[in-house]
Amino acid sequence: MTDEADWIKMARAGDQSAFGRLVVAYQTPVYNLAYRMLGNAAEAEEAAQETFLRAYTHLRSYDPQRAFRSWLLSIASHYCIDRLRRRRITWLPLEDELAIPDRLTTNIPGPETLVARREREEHVQGLLAELSPTDRAAITLRYWYDCSYEEIAETLDLTVSAVKSRLHRARRTLAGTMQGDTAYAV
Amino acid sequence: MQCEQASKMMSEWLDGRLGDAEVAVLEDHLSQCSECQAEWSRLQTLDTLLSAAAMVRPPVRMRVQVMARLSRRDQARRAIIGGTALGLGTVALALLALAPVIAGLLNATDVVPALVSGGPATVAQLLTVTGAMGRTLLVLAESFALPLACLMLGSLAVALALNRLWVGAVRRVQTTH
Repeated sequence: MTDEADWIKMARAGDQSAFGRLVVAYQTPVYNLAYRMLGNAAEAEEAAQETFLRAYTHLRSYDPQRAFRSWLLSIASHYCIDRLRRRRITWLPLEDELAIPDRLTTNIPGPETLVARREREEHVQGLLAELSPTDRAAITLRYWYDCSYEEIAETLDLTVSAVKSRLHRARRTLAGTMQGDTAYAV
Repeated sequence: MQCEQASKMMSEWLDGRLGDAEVAVLEDHLSQCSECQAEWSRLQTLDTLLSAAAMVRPPVRMRVQVMARLSRRDQARRAIIGGTALGLGTVALALLALAPVIAGLLNATDVVPALVSGGPATVAQLLTVTGAMGRTLLVLAESFALPLACLMLGSLAVALALNRLWVGAVRRVQTTH
């Protein structure tokens, strides 16, 4: 039995420290998904915490045959989609976002690199904000998690055909938006 | 091939889901259609941009905060259970304290003699109603609130037993005097 399976089993029995190990193991993928979906570091942090709380509450309903990461991402995706729908806005003003979260990198970049990175990051988040919540989740799962169509379908409760359509539509929307942006126009 | 179909295939091509034959058909279309060539170029630029975007790292306090929220939630749950038990205990004590008063009122208003004078039929009806209420409580307990219902029934039984002892003691004192 793997460490993860042990932790899940112990956490199901009420061992919170075992659940804490699961939080450490999956905090980056969960937080990144929330950040890509919500486009805001503070909201992403709150959403990631809520995802873990919901996971702990519903741990007994988790099917061990399914990948734990996929199950967690499903909870996070649905939570973020609901949150976006309640928010009823499609654009988050990134100018207000003072703190871009740390990236997974070991090199210490110079100021110019940091500026370029920040601009690219803002551009990516600005593009994602053009999409509907579910399309945004599909694109995020495809690009940041390398999920197959089948995995995206399972995570978002869609059919494979719907995933294909959503990815196609999302890409056309994003490409159209990029075309209007002089910095990225082809 | 229609441009719309070509557009859908481009998306699948980016995801590596096209076979060699389909790729050949699409490439053939691209070589003849300047609009689709431009779209393909835009999609490739988009693909490069998104593929290069890295994961963002969560704040270092994530685990601590999740565990703190879990702990607070457990404390709140324990407080609710404790409060419920305390409330039920208070009700039981209140019933105990009020028992002599209620017994006195029943005696003063002749309710008990009236019930008794009603005869066996009245007693049988009362027993039927009591039985129905008991069955309803059991169904409720089985369906959704077993622990709470058990607690309530237990508290009620204790209160009734204590009341009975109290009333009996008072009567014995009255008889003695």
